[in-house]
Amino acid sequence: MATYDLTQRIAPNLDRHLVFPLLEFLQERQMYPDEQILKSKIELLNKTNMVDYAMDIHKSLYHTEDVPQDMVERRVEVVARLKALEERAAPIVSFLQNPNSFQDLRANDQHYNLQMLHDRYQIGPDQIEALYQYAKFQFECGNYSGAADYLYQYRALCTNSERRLSALWGKMAAEILMQNWDIALEELNQLKEKVDDPKSFTSPLNQMQSRIWLMHWSLFIFFNHDNGRTLIIDLFNQDKYLNAIQTNAPHLLRYLATAFIVNKRRRPQFKDFIKVIQQEQNSYKDPITEFLACVYVNYDFDGAQKKMKECEEVILNDPFLGKRVEDSNFATVPLRDEFLENARLFIFETYCRIHQRIDMAVLAEKLNLNYEEAQRWIVNLIRNSKLDAKIDAKSGTVIMEPTHPNVYEQLIDHTKGLSGRTYKLVGQLLEHAQTQAAR
Amino acid sequence: MASRFWTQGGSDSEEESSDYEDDVENEGVETTTQTAGSRYLQANASDSDDSDGQKRVVRSAKDKRFEEMAATVDQMKNAMKINDWVSLQESFDKINKQLDKVMRVTEAEKVPTLYIKALVMLEDFLNQAMANKEAKKKMSSSNAKALNSMKQKLKKNNKQYEDLINKYRENPESEEVKDEDEESEEEEEDEDEEFEEDPDNIRAGSGSDNDDDDDGEEAEDTNDSGWVRQTGRRDKSIDKQFKNPSEITWENVNKKFKEVVAARGRKGTGRFEQVEQLTFLMKVAKTPAQKLEILFSLISAQFDVNPGLSGHMPINVWKKCVVNMLIVLDILTQYPNIVVNDMVEPDENETQKAADYNGTIRVWGNLVAFVERIDVEFFKSLQSIDPHTREYVERLRDEPMFLVLAQDVQEYLEQAGEFKAASKVALRRVELIYYKPQEVYDAMRKLAEQTDEGDDGEKAIEEESRGPSAFISVPELVPRKPTFPENSRTMMDMLVSLIYKYGDERTKARAMLCDIYHHALLDEFSTARDLLLMSHLQDNVQQMDVLSQILFNRAMAQLGLCAFRVGLVAEGHSCLSELYSGGKVKELLAQGISQSRYHEKTPEQERLERRRQMPYHMHINLELLEAVHLICAMLLEVPNMAANTHGAKSKVISKTFRRLLEVSERQTFTGPPENVRDHVMAATRALTKGDFQKAFDVINSLDVWRLLRNRESVLEMLKAKIKEEALRTYLFTFTSSYDSLSLDQLTKMFDLSEVQTHSIVSKMMINEELHASWDQPTHCIIFHDVEHSRLQALAFQLTEKLSILAESNERAMESRTGGGLDLSLRRRDQDYAAGTGAMGGKWQDNLSYNQGRQGRSGFTGGGGRSLALGQAGGYSRGQLRGSGGYSGRAAAARGSQMDGSNRMVSLNKGVRV
Repeated sequence: MATYDLTQRIAPNLDRHLVFPLLEFLQERQMYPDEQILKSKIELLNKTNMVDYAMDIHKSLYHTEDVPQDMVERRVEVVARLKALEERAAPIVSFLQNPNSFQDLRANDQHYNLQMLHDRYQIGPDQIEALYQYAKFQFECGNYSGAADYLYQYRALCTNSERRLSALWGKMAAEILMQNWDIALEELNQLKEKVDDPKSFTSPLNQMQSRIWLMHWSLFIFFNHDNGRTLIIDLFNQDKYLNAIQTNAPHLLRYLATAFIVNKRRRPQFKDFIKVIQQEQNSYKDPITEFLACVYVNYDFDGAQKKMKECEEVILNDPFLGKRVEDSNFATVPLRDEFLENARLFIFETYCRIHQRIDMAVLAEKLNLNYEEAQRWIVNLIRNSKLDAKIDAKSGTVIMEPTHPNVYEQLIDHTKGLSGRTYKLVGQLLEHAQTQAAR
Repeated sequence: MASRFWTQGGSDSEEESSDYEDDVENEGVETTTQTAGSRYLQANASDSDDSDGQKRVVRSAKDKRFEEMAATVDQMKNAMKINDWVSLQESFDKINKQLDKVMRVTEAEKVPTLYIKALVMLEDFLNQAMANKEAKKKMSSSNAKALNSMKQKLKKNNKQYEDLINKYRENPESEEVKDEDEESEEEEEDEDEEFEEDPDNIRAGSGSDNDDDDDGEEAEDTNDSGWVRQTGRRDKSIDKQFKNPSEITWENVNKKFKEVVAARGRKGTGRFEQVEQLTFLMKVAKTPAQKLEILFSLISAQFDVNPGLSGHMPINVWKKCVVNMLIVLDILTQYPNIVVNDMVEPDENETQKAADYNGTIRVWGNLVAFVERIDVEFFKSLQSIDPHTREYVERLRDEPMFLVLAQDVQEYLEQAGEFKAASKVALRRVELIYYKPQEVYDAMRKLAEQTDEGDDGEKAIEEESRGPSAFISVPELVPRKPTFPENSRTMMDMLVSLIYKYGDERTKARAMLCDIYHHALLDEFSTARDLLLMSHLQDNVQQMDVLSQILFNRAMAQLGLCAFRVGLVAEGHSCLSELYSGGKVKELLAQGISQSRYHEKTPEQERLERRRQMPYHMHINLELLEAVHLICAMLLEVPNMAANTHGAKSKVISKTFRRLLEVSERQTFTGPPENVRDHVMAATRALTKGDFQKAFDVINSLDVWRLLRNRESVLEMLKAKIKEEALRTYLFTFTSSYDSLSLDQLTKMFDLSEVQTHSIVSKMMINEELHASWDQPTHCIIFHDVEHSRLQALAFQLTEKLSILAESNERAMESRTGGGLDLSLRRRDQDYAAGTGAMGGKWQDNLSYNQGRQGRSGFTGGGGRSLALGQAGGYSRGQLRGSGGYSGRAAAARGSQMDGSNRMVSLNKGVRV
């Protein structure tokens, strides 16, 4: 069950806080013993400031009411530090919370803003820096909405480009954790611009690493946002990003492959993607990529069918793909249904291309449907003119219409352009001759 | 005693020189002055070390020549006694011939004294004979005739050596001494002067002569005195100068050292002598720094022993050199305040600072350069030794010795923080390991462990015997035993990652190539391929030096073999086809010189080529390579030919293969296959008929397969591939004869599983290679009759030609009018798009790695175009250059595979590390 779990490979590329949702999911699916997950949660929390939460987990893990001394100490420390930071950031926070003074800021004039702050409110770079620290601390404590707000405001005031970048990352993480997908998507786009800007990185290696992070973080957004499945292809299938995937994070191919399968309109890029999968077969494979390989590389339909079943499993156990929708005490995984439908279509399409006559019973079996369903399904396809075929009910077969172009048509096609081209050529020649003569 | 005797013999540097000197001495002395001879003989006999030990060793060519010469002189003497001028004349001719040989062997400029002596003797005898007229009259006519011609010849001959003869006549006694170090008369004179300048020393020396025996350290004494006596007067003088340990000061060692160094490279300076002198000086050095300085000069002097670029350093000198380097390292580790640097010229008296001096002491020297030179010499010796002899194997056993040194130097440099230099040394180590498969590596490891156990005792004794004589005794600090990790891969990884971090461009590129080679050797095709692609080496290989290009070719060859072993036929073919496209595999891999019929090489070229040959043990088996290449080509080309029977020339996959096939088809009778080509051709003939069993049998009968490690699995893979291609070929060839064909029949015919057959046929259908479709209920292939009739096919050809005509018209027009026209531009774009589509498609199919990572990042349409052009360029250049060289051809074709970007080397290392 846990064979295809990618959490271990994904987690290093995420922020600590972002790993929580993944762990929650694993716990829910009971892929690992509870104890193990709880322990790793505590470990995760140790470096953050969410000490209360860690204490709770500790209690539930060991079934005690005692809390280890170091946690208590840490809690005191955290609270003290919070106080200190709050104090330091107080002037600017109060300034920002006052709606009147906030209007004094000009949207596009950072220089003016800074000057104005300095002159009128005695807020200098120190306070602004404090704001950043404060926001970061808030984030560490799990107060994401506060952190997001402060970071947003900090960005308007900050002059240091590196800090701006980390503020962006922080803001995005906060939005993701608050599940504000639309805003997170905006942040993502901003961040992407920054990441693609060659000026912001010293070495290509850093840039690639940032891209990989970006892709990992974006998984949260794409599989929750309505339009995400198109966007993920847009992002991941760019050469630069695909490169990064192939070099250092081949496991992301799973998500791209799923997006491709689910998304019907992406056919031209799909062909190239199949080649990528073929290439990467020895560095990464899971049922989803294997399914594609079966259908489009080996034409092994029995294998594809088997893989399809495995795919279902994988999707259900993947924290991103297996998102549940609660619908009046009936939980569905929308992506699974969509995936299966499309995968079936893929198989059928390819199958039809190489067959002249297919037994309906076999077809039904291949499509994981019963006879009636299969028939209905095919009839629908034919009616929507997606399939050029007829059903022979007597023998229980589907007969494909041959699609061979006529030889004469082909010949005519070939020669059609020629006369026009020659005519134009002569025209040009004459024109040229005239201009020559005129000179 | 015996053991010490052996160690001395084994590690002595003056083996050859002393050997032949003694010989000359002996022979010369015997023939002339008996008494002197006996004295010398005695001296020799009483010699407790070297020379005697050496004599047991096989005589070198030099000695043989000298012996022959001496024999001739004896003959002459006999002839003189009986006044036989005819035989005398013969002997004279003979000795002249021998002289040539001797000169060649010894590579000396000076004529051996033995010869001069003979000349003088002859001249005297001749004069005597001429003066004695009566005797002359009594002679027989033939004898008289011989006498006259002899007289003329001698006159002519002696003119050449007038000086020497006169010198000899003036001073026949000193000649004996000169015998000893005939090569360095001038120096001797210097020596003499100095001798006079230092009367004190003489006195001290002579005084200390007696002290010899009284000296407590007996071992040293016998050792030293033997050494002194044998190496002659000059050394004796030095020795005397320094005989008394208490009188040796830093100043006089330094002075002597400067003198010796100044003589370096001067004409007539005995190279061996210099080594000896320096060895002695090294022992008496007063401060570690001085010892170090002298050691460096000593090592350089050892490098000088062999002049010229072609020959290699004598092996025993090489070994000594390595030992010296280890001592250098000992000193450096013991006194960390000594810094070796070749950037700044240190103070005159820097080395005076004693061991307890606190600050840093700078000594001039370059460890890396020495290590590299030692490696080069090792490589050269392997190049020139005949690989089928025992000597070669013995020589190969010295490899761990060098590896120890390199390892120690690298460690030292790493400690000193000179990572750049360390990476260079690491590269040397990599280059010794990369071509070894795990088995060979294990064998080497074992050998290193064994020999070292054996050596340990020996070394200890050696150290002991040397120890007391040296003022600065250095304990063995650096390990003398190589430490090899279990796995050659771990070792490579370790070294290579160091190089990637710190090395310069060339070092990195070479290390990368070695890395690729090694991965390929271990059947890790995808890793090796990724490395190759990520490093963009293919683009830059043209700009690299010839040696790196050879390495690149080797890596490509190995990669091809690896691809074949893991069953990637198309990849294997694309790796190897470039190597074979020019028919110069041997040259490209530096595994022998192929003779070109049309193009004579200049001697200069030939010499250069000889110098970059790979030693035999590093060779990639050419037969195996050829077999793999041809089989890959066969597997790709046979179905391809079957699919395009209408002679579509554009779809040739392997030109080499096609050419061979044409040749073999032209033969009227085909005999049983003999070489690799015949085998593959026979298999091809069977395969075109779809007879997979016969094809496989023929290929299986090749005996190169025994060279493969996992032979069984490779052959199995090969069989599967052959079946598959046979099926495809069969379908292509015989579709027109069938209307339908059942799956069962096909599976039986080609002994394939149903799934496999289905998959293969389906693939052909999807790719529109086969105009057919499945009839699922009956499991049959139904063939559609879409074969064009002859008329239709011709009509298509006509339209194709017409459109080509139209295009060329447009292009001609374009070039006339400057091409700014809208229509033609659009046209051209389309053409190119189409062209690149076809071309790129083909390449992409064939080299699936071609559009690997960077392929993706770099080119879409435009890349494809440059690819096609680049390839054409590569070919034409290849033909023009003929046998010219390695540089352009293969590299150009190769470079065309990838898009260019030069900075990637560094980047991807980072990724990997």
